[in-house]
Amino acid sequence: MSTTTKSDYLLLFRGNVWDRELSAAQLQKVVSDWMAWFERLKAEGKCAGGHPLEDEGKVVSGKQRMVADGPFAESKEAIGGYFYLTVADENEAIEIAKQCPGLEYGSVVEVRPVADVCSIKERAEEYSKRELAAARA
Amino acid sequence: MNTETTTSEYILLFRGAQWDRGLSTDELQQAMDKVMAWFEGLNERGKIKSAQPLGGQGRVISGTDGRFVVDGPFTETKEAVGGYLVLQAETLNEAVEVARSMPTLRYGVSVEVRPILAECPIIQRHPELVRRAIHPVAEQLLVAAAA
Repeated sequence: MSTTTKSDYLLLFRGNVWDRELSAAQLQKVVSDWMAWFERLKAEGKCAGGHPLEDEGKVVSGKQRMVADGPFAESKEAIGGYFYLTVADENEAIEIAKQCPGLEYGSVVEVRPVADVCSIKERAEEYSKRELAAARA
Repeated sequence: MNTETTTSEYILLFRGAQWDRGLSTDELQQAMDKVMAWFEGLNERGKIKSAQPLGGQGRVISGTDGRFVVDGPFTETKEAVGGYLVLQAETLNEAVEVARSMPTLRYGVSVEVRPILAECPIIQRHPELVRRAIHPVAEQLLVAAAA
Protein backbone atom coordinates (compact mmCIF):
# COMPACT_ATOMS: atom_id res chain seq x y z
CA MET A 1 0.00 0.00 0.00
CA SER A 2 1.91 3.04 -1.14
CA THR A 3 -0.37 5.33 -3.08
CA THR A 4 -3.34 7.10 -1.70
CA THR A 5 -5.75 9.28 -3.64
CA LYS A 6 -7.04 11.17 -0.63
CA SER A 7 -7.08 14.87 -1.19
CA ASP A 8 -6.77 16.09 2.40
CA TYR A 9 -3.50 16.04 4.28
CA LEU A 10 -2.35 17.34 7.61
CA LEU A 11 1.13 18.84 7.91
CA LEU A 12 2.36 18.56 11.48
CA PHE A 13 5.32 20.83 12.23
CA ARG A 14 7.62 19.17 14.71
CA GLY A 15 10.26 20.83 16.83
CA ASN A 16 9.77 24.10 18.65
CA VAL A 17 13.32 25.01 19.62
CA TRP A 18 14.86 25.46 16.20
CA ASP A 19 14.47 29.24 16.31
CA ARG A 20 16.51 29.69 19.49
CA GLU A 21 19.93 29.97 17.85
CA LEU A 22 18.95 32.15 14.95
CA SER A 23 20.09 35.72 14.49
CA ALA A 24 17.51 38.50 14.37
CA ALA A 25 17.92 38.71 10.61
CA GLN A 26 17.49 34.95 10.12
CA LEU A 27 14.47 34.95 12.40
CA GLN A 28 12.97 37.88 10.57
CA LYS A 29 13.40 36.07 7.28
CA VAL A 30 12.04 32.70 8.38
CA VAL A 31 9.00 34.26 10.04
CA SER A 32 8.10 36.38 7.03
CA ASP A 33 8.83 33.49 4.63
CA TRP A 34 6.56 31.24 6.70
CA MET A 35 3.72 33.74 6.69
CA ALA A 36 4.12 34.36 2.95
CA TRP A 37 4.11 30.59 2.35
CA PHE A 38 0.93 30.15 4.40
CA GLU A 39 -0.80 33.08 2.67
CA ARG A 40 0.19 31.81 -0.76
CA LEU A 41 -1.13 28.30 -0.06
CA LYS A 42 -4.40 29.77 1.19
CA ALA A 43 -4.68 32.02 -1.87
CA GLU A 44 -4.07 29.00 -4.11
CA GLY A 45 -6.85 27.13 -2.33
CA LYS A 46 -4.43 24.45 -1.16
CA CYS A 47 -4.53 25.23 2.53
CA ALA A 48 -7.85 25.31 4.36
CA GLY A 49 -6.29 26.59 7.56
CA GLY A 50 -3.55 26.21 10.08
CA HIS A 51 -2.53 27.24 13.54
CA PRO A 52 0.45 27.36 15.82
CA LEU A 53 0.04 25.59 19.16
CA GLU A 54 1.00 26.95 22.54
CA ASP A 55 4.04 25.32 24.16
CA GLU A 56 2.09 24.54 27.30
CA GLY A 57 -0.58 21.88 27.48
CA LYS A 58 -1.46 18.61 29.19
CA VAL A 59 -1.25 14.91 28.51
CA VAL A 60 -4.11 12.72 29.72
CA SER A 61 -3.53 8.97 29.96
CA GLY A 62 -4.36 5.68 31.64
CA LYS A 63 -7.30 4.08 33.37
CA GLN A 64 -6.80 6.53 36.24
CA ARG A 65 -7.07 9.37 33.74
CA MET A 66 -3.90 11.00 34.96
CA VAL A 67 -3.18 14.52 33.88
CA ALA A 68 0.44 15.58 33.42
CA ASP A 69 2.11 18.70 32.13
CA GLY A 70 3.23 18.11 28.59
CA PRO A 71 6.93 18.23 27.73
CA PHE A 72 6.32 20.55 24.83
CA ALA A 73 8.57 23.46 25.69
CA GLU A 74 11.91 22.08 24.55
CA SER A 75 11.58 19.19 22.19
CA LYS A 76 12.48 18.20 18.66
CA GLU A 77 9.41 15.96 18.46
CA ALA A 78 6.83 18.33 19.94
CA ILE A 79 4.19 19.47 17.50
CA GLY A 80 4.40 23.23 17.19
CA GLY A 81 1.62 23.77 14.70
CA TYR A 82 -0.23 22.38 11.71
CA PHE A 83 -1.63 23.14 8.25
CA TYR A 84 -4.69 21.45 6.76
CA LEU A 85 -4.04 20.88 3.04
CA THR A 86 -6.46 20.10 0.25
CA VAL A 87 -4.37 18.93 -2.67
CA ALA A 88 -4.42 16.54 -5.63
CA ASP A 89 -2.35 13.75 -4.15
CA GLU A 90 0.34 12.79 -1.69
CA ASN A 91 3.13 13.98 -3.95
CA GLU A 92 1.72 17.47 -3.98
CA ALA A 93 1.44 17.44 -0.19
CA ILE A 94 5.09 16.30 0.05
CA GLU A 95 6.21 19.00 -2.39
CA ILE A 96 4.45 21.61 -0.27
CA ALA A 97 6.01 20.20 2.90
CA LYS A 98 9.44 20.54 1.28
CA GLN A 99 8.82 24.28 0.96
CA CYS A 100 8.58 24.74 4.73
CA PRO A 101 10.96 27.59 5.64
CA GLY A 102 11.85 26.02 9.00
CA LEU A 103 13.37 22.88 7.44
CA GLU A 104 16.84 24.32 7.03
CA TYR A 105 16.96 25.11 10.74
CA GLY A 106 15.90 21.64 11.88
CA SER A 107 12.13 21.78 11.81
CA VAL A 108 10.54 18.46 10.72
CA VAL A 109 7.26 18.16 8.82
CA GLU A 110 5.04 15.12 9.16
CA VAL A 111 2.65 14.60 6.23
CA ARG A 112 -0.45 12.57 7.08
CA PRO A 113 -3.45 11.69 4.94
CA VAL A 114 -6.72 12.60 6.60
CA ALA A 115 -8.92 9.49 6.70
CA ASP A 116 -12.65 9.40 6.05
CA VAL A 117 -13.21 6.51 8.36
CA CYS A 118 -11.33 5.61 11.50
CA SER A 119 -9.08 2.60 10.81
CA ILE A 120 -10.08 1.04 14.13
CA LYS A 121 -13.75 1.34 13.24
CA GLU A 122 -12.95 -0.42 9.96
CA ARG A 123 -11.13 -3.17 11.82
CA ALA A 124 -14.05 -3.53 14.24
CA GLU A 125 -16.43 -3.97 11.32
CA GLU A 126 -14.05 -6.41 9.70
CA TYR A 127 -13.92 -8.52 12.89
CA SER A 128 -17.70 -8.53 13.15
CA LYS A 129 -18.07 -9.68 9.55
CA ARG A 130 -15.54 -12.44 10.06
CA GLU A 131 -17.29 -13.60 13.21
CA LEU A 132 -20.66 -13.60 11.47
CA ALA A 133 -19.19 -15.63 8.61
CA ALA A 134 -17.66 -18.08 11.08
CA ALA A 135 -20.98 -18.41 12.92
CA ARG A 136 -22.79 -19.17 9.66
CA ALA A 137 -20.23 -21.75 8.56
CA MET B 1 2.78 28.95 35.47
CA ASN B 2 -0.72 30.04 34.67
CA THR B 3 -2.78 26.93 34.15
CA GLU B 4 -6.00 28.80 33.45
CA THR B 5 -5.08 29.39 29.86
CA THR B 6 -8.06 30.77 28.06
CA THR B 7 -8.30 30.52 24.36
CA SER B 8 -11.46 29.28 22.82
CA GLU B 9 -9.92 26.44 20.86
CA TYR B 10 -7.89 23.45 21.92
CA ILE B 11 -6.59 20.57 19.87
CA LEU B 12 -6.77 17.06 21.28
CA LEU B 13 -4.14 14.82 19.71
CA PHE B 14 -4.92 11.13 20.17
CA ARG B 15 -1.70 9.18 20.53
CA GLY B 16 -1.41 5.43 20.18
CA ALA B 17 -3.29 4.29 17.09
CA GLN B 18 -3.16 0.55 17.75
CA TRP B 19 -5.09 0.36 21.01
CA ASP B 20 -7.60 -2.07 19.54
CA ARG B 21 -5.06 -4.87 19.06
CA GLY B 22 -5.69 -7.63 21.54
CA LEU B 23 -9.33 -6.77 22.22
CA SER B 24 -12.06 -9.29 21.50
CA THR B 25 -14.76 -8.40 18.97
CA ASP B 26 -17.21 -7.70 21.80
CA GLU B 27 -14.80 -5.50 23.68
CA LEU B 28 -13.93 -3.63 20.52
CA GLN B 29 -17.56 -3.15 19.58
CA GLN B 30 -18.35 -1.81 23.04
CA ALA B 31 -15.35 0.48 22.96
CA MET B 32 -16.31 1.84 19.55
CA ASP B 33 -19.90 2.39 20.67
CA LYS B 34 -18.62 4.36 23.65
CA VAL B 35 -16.30 6.40 21.46
CA MET B 36 -19.11 7.23 19.05
CA ALA B 37 -21.46 8.17 21.90
CA TRP B 38 -18.74 10.35 23.45
CA PHE B 39 -18.16 12.06 20.14
CA GLU B 40 -21.87 12.59 19.42
CA GLY B 41 -22.41 13.99 22.91
CA LEU B 42 -19.70 16.61 22.40
CA ASN B 43 -20.95 17.36 18.93
CA GLU B 44 -24.52 17.94 20.12
CA ARG B 45 -23.22 20.39 22.71
CA GLY B 46 -21.44 22.29 19.95
CA LYS B 47 -18.02 21.56 21.38
CA ILE B 48 -16.41 20.11 18.27
CA LYS B 49 -15.08 22.38 15.60
CA SER B 50 -13.50 19.63 13.54
CA ALA B 51 -12.20 16.12 14.01
CA GLN B 52 -10.55 13.57 11.75
CA PRO B 53 -8.79 10.27 12.00
CA LEU B 54 -5.42 10.18 10.24
CA GLY B 55 -4.27 7.50 7.83
CA GLY B 56 -1.45 5.27 9.00
CA GLN B 57 0.67 5.93 5.95
CA GLY B 58 2.48 9.21 5.58
CA ARG B 59 5.90 10.80 5.21
CA VAL B 60 8.29 12.71 7.40
CA ILE B 61 10.19 15.54 5.72
CA SER B 62 13.33 17.12 7.13
CA GLY B 63 16.52 18.91 6.12
CA THR B 64 17.16 22.01 4.06
CA ASP B 65 14.76 22.18 1.11
CA GLY B 66 13.19 18.98 2.37
CA ARG B 67 15.98 16.78 1.10
CA PHE B 68 15.08 13.91 3.42
CA VAL B 69 11.75 12.22 2.86
CA VAL B 70 11.14 9.03 4.80
CA ASP B 71 8.16 6.77 5.29
CA GLY B 72 6.45 7.31 8.56
CA PRO B 73 5.22 8.15 11.04
CA PHE B 74 5.26 4.90 12.84
CA THR B 75 1.75 4.08 13.79
CA GLU B 76 2.88 1.03 15.72
CA THR B 77 4.36 3.32 18.33
CA LYS B 78 2.47 4.68 21.30
CA GLU B 79 3.46 8.20 20.39
CA ALA B 80 2.06 8.22 16.86
CA VAL B 81 -0.88 10.56 16.38
CA GLY B 82 -3.90 8.58 15.17
CA GLY B 83 -6.36 11.44 14.97
CA TYR B 84 -7.28 14.81 16.31
CA LEU B 85 -10.20 16.87 17.50
CA VAL B 86 -10.44 20.66 17.59
CA LEU B 87 -12.44 21.50 20.67
CA GLN B 88 -14.25 24.67 21.67
CA ALA B 89 -13.69 25.14 25.37
CA GLU B 90 -13.54 28.03 27.81
CA THR B 91 -10.38 26.99 29.60
CA LEU B 92 -7.56 24.48 29.46
CA ASN B 93 -9.16 22.76 32.46
CA GLU B 94 -12.40 22.29 30.58
CA ALA B 95 -10.49 20.84 27.63
CA VAL B 96 -8.61 18.50 29.99
CA GLU B 97 -11.90 17.33 31.52
CA VAL B 98 -13.20 16.49 28.06
CA ALA B 99 -9.98 14.57 27.36
CA ARG B 100 -10.41 12.67 30.64
CA SER B 101 -13.83 11.50 29.53
CA MET B 102 -12.39 9.90 26.39
CA PRO B 103 -13.37 6.19 26.50
CA THR B 104 -10.20 4.65 25.02
CA LEU B 105 -7.83 5.93 27.70
CA ARG B 106 -8.28 2.61 29.47
CA TYR B 107 -6.87 0.81 26.44
CA GLY B 108 -3.66 2.81 26.42
CA VAL B 109 -4.50 5.79 24.24
CA SER B 110 -3.15 9.08 25.56
CA VAL B 111 -4.53 12.48 24.72
CA GLU B 112 -2.38 15.55 24.28
CA VAL B 113 -4.32 18.75 24.96
CA ARG B 114 -2.86 21.90 23.41
CA PRO B 115 -4.18 25.45 23.22
CA ILE B 116 -4.45 26.69 19.64
CA LEU B 117 -2.84 30.07 19.13
CA ALA B 118 -3.83 32.87 16.83
CA GLU B 119 -0.22 33.96 16.65
CA CYS B 120 3.03 32.04 16.29
CA PRO B 121 4.97 31.60 19.59
CA ILE B 122 8.19 32.54 17.81
CA ILE B 123 6.62 35.89 17.10
CA GLN B 124 5.52 36.16 20.74
CA ARG B 125 9.10 35.53 21.87
CA HIS B 126 10.43 38.21 19.54
CA PRO B 127 7.78 40.91 19.37
CA GLU B 128 10.25 43.39 17.93
CA LEU B 129 10.44 41.35 14.72
CA VAL B 130 6.82 40.88 14.10
CA ARG B 131 5.49 44.16 13.08
CA ARG B 132 8.14 44.60 10.47
CA ALA B 133 7.94 41.03 9.27
CA ILE B 134 4.25 40.63 8.89
CA HIS B 135 2.67 43.99 8.70
CA PRO B 136 5.12 46.13 6.78
CA VAL B 137 2.32 48.25 5.38
CA ALA B 138 0.61 48.64 8.75
CA GLU B 139 3.97 49.52 10.26
CA GLN B 140 4.50 52.23 7.68
CA LEU B 141 1.04 53.59 8.37
CA LEU B 142 1.72 53.64 12.11
CA VAL B 143 5.00 55.44 11.56
CA ALA B 144 3.29 57.89 9.24
CA ALA B 145 0.47 58.44 11.73
CA ALA B 146 2.92 59.03 14.58
CA ALA B 147 4.95 61.55 12.56
